[in-house]
Amino acid sequence: MTAKKARGKKKKHSYIWLSVLSVVLFFFVWWLFTEGSLGTIKENVLPGPIKVFQTLIDKFSNKNPDGATMQVHLWASLKVTLTGYVIGCLVGIPLGILMGWYEKADMFVNPIFDFIRPIPGIAWTPLFILLFGIGMLPKVIVIALATFGPALVNAYTGIRQTKEVHIWVGQTFGASKGEILRKIAIPSSIPFILTGMRVGLGVAWSTIIGAEMLAATAGLGYLINLCRGIYRPDIIIASMICVGVIGAALGLVLTFLERQLMKGGRW
Amino acid sequence: MLERKAKMWQKIAAAAVSFALLILIWQLAAMNPQFSQVMPGPFAVLQKFFVSFVEPIGKNVMLQHMLITLSRWAAGFIAATILGIALGLTMGWYRGFEAFMRPLFELVRPIPTLAWIPLVILWCGIGELAKYVLVFIGAFMSIVQNAYHGAKSVDRTIVNAARMLGCNDRQMFFTIVIPASVPAISAGLQIGVASAWSSVVAAELVRSSSGVGWIVVTGQQNNNMTQILVGILVIAVIGLLLALLIRRVEDVLCRWNKRGR
Repeated sequence: MTAKKARGKKKKHSYIWLSVLSVVLFFFVWWLFTEGSLGTIKENVLPGPIKVFQTLIDKFSNKNPDGATMQVHLWASLKVTLTGYVIGCLVGIPLGILMGWYEKADMFVNPIFDFIRPIPGIAWTPLFILLFGIGMLPKVIVIALATFGPALVNAYTGIRQTKEVHIWVGQTFGASKGEILRKIAIPSSIPFILTGMRVGLGVAWSTIIGAEMLAATAGLGYLINLCRGIYRPDIIIASMICVGVIGAALGLVLTFLERQLMKGGRW
Repeated sequence: MLERKAKMWQKIAAAAVSFALLILIWQLAAMNPQFSQVMPGPFAVLQKFFVSFVEPIGKNVMLQHMLITLSRWAAGFIAATILGIALGLTMGWYRGFEAFMRPLFELVRPIPTLAWIPLVILWCGIGELAKYVLVFIGAFMSIVQNAYHGAKSVDRTIVNAARMLGCNDRQMFFTIVIPASVPAISAGLQIGVASAWSSVVAAELVRSSSGVGWIVVTGQQNNNMTQILVGILVIAVIGLLLALLIRRVEDVLCRWNKRGR
């Protein structure tokens, strides 16, 4: 038994080395073909990893070529995303709960949402730009719409999945319909609601990058698209790294919230 | 049975009522000249939609735009399905391969598809290839992710039973792991369809000269709200049809799984 365990441990150890190797190999190959001795790829197509890293550091203090530092762009994107996201959740989750709980509301409202849901959030952007100009408002609405879908659907599913037995228990103990909703259905659907919030956040973050490419004067999407026009892939990749890191960080925050909120655990 | 049928009719009636109500409110609002200046009524949009099948928008009629967009979607999505399932399953089943590929995959995964658009355009030009690649990226991530989890969570009892009956590694992968991961794979495909659809629309919005996304964005440039709404309508209808199609495929592929429940 112990021998087997030790062997398993040793095997796991070698797997970690394989992971390290793959990442090192990736950066080495990237470096080799750009900045290294086999450097055949031009810098305005794919800059090397060292160049990208330097650009990334430099962009936090350098305003060229777009007139703002990275943190200004970051904040511009985050501000719009979080505002739209909160609005989308505040509208979507209660509506999802209502639709899940009242069958009549479901019958009338659901068909319309089934029709609207397949429209990607980004497709709304031109409409709201035409209505409200290229300020912050149209983007906030687009983000709210993009978040709204997953938030609603998951809250709806969560309420629908309430165990009938739990409801019966509530009824036996004389709970009113409102009490059953408040104290049984909503708490038991919290895992679903949180899943919806996490999916919604991912969609919102992706949508804002796209929306900023279409119309913005600041923000990460704007920066990336601008640098395409002036052939600066180093800034594009550096900004993509920022987008990825922020997206992952936002996801972690929600996972943390989930752990705090769901003391009962998942079922 | 009869009760179920009655319920279905009730549902259809409710759907019809709510759509009629929506259109009525919209039409009433559009009768107000101040509103109709910025937003055309529902019938104007519908009329424009049907007219666009004979009268071209830009260079193409509506059907051509739809087919162009759909072909971009299909090329990227099919490639992503084949490669994504293959990568996901091998990554989920073979530990060594997982250790090698997973870090690279995790490195790229947090970057949203739409953030790839400029880089892909820079690399592949503004032609069709860039759109295929973008759709591919959009669908690939979720398909790999789900296939991977599917292969990871194959029931150990089945695996051990097969091994006891003298199943070799190749048989194990092809006759146990792949079928057992089908439900997870089809869940991945459903997410993939939606994200591929959103990528193709976004790619067309940012840079293109045809397709339904292009209809929407030129509508914005020409201040033509009717055209934008027609474009959005088409995007909604095709997106809905694609989602239904994939759900149908899932029903066929996972019949054994549903019956078991």
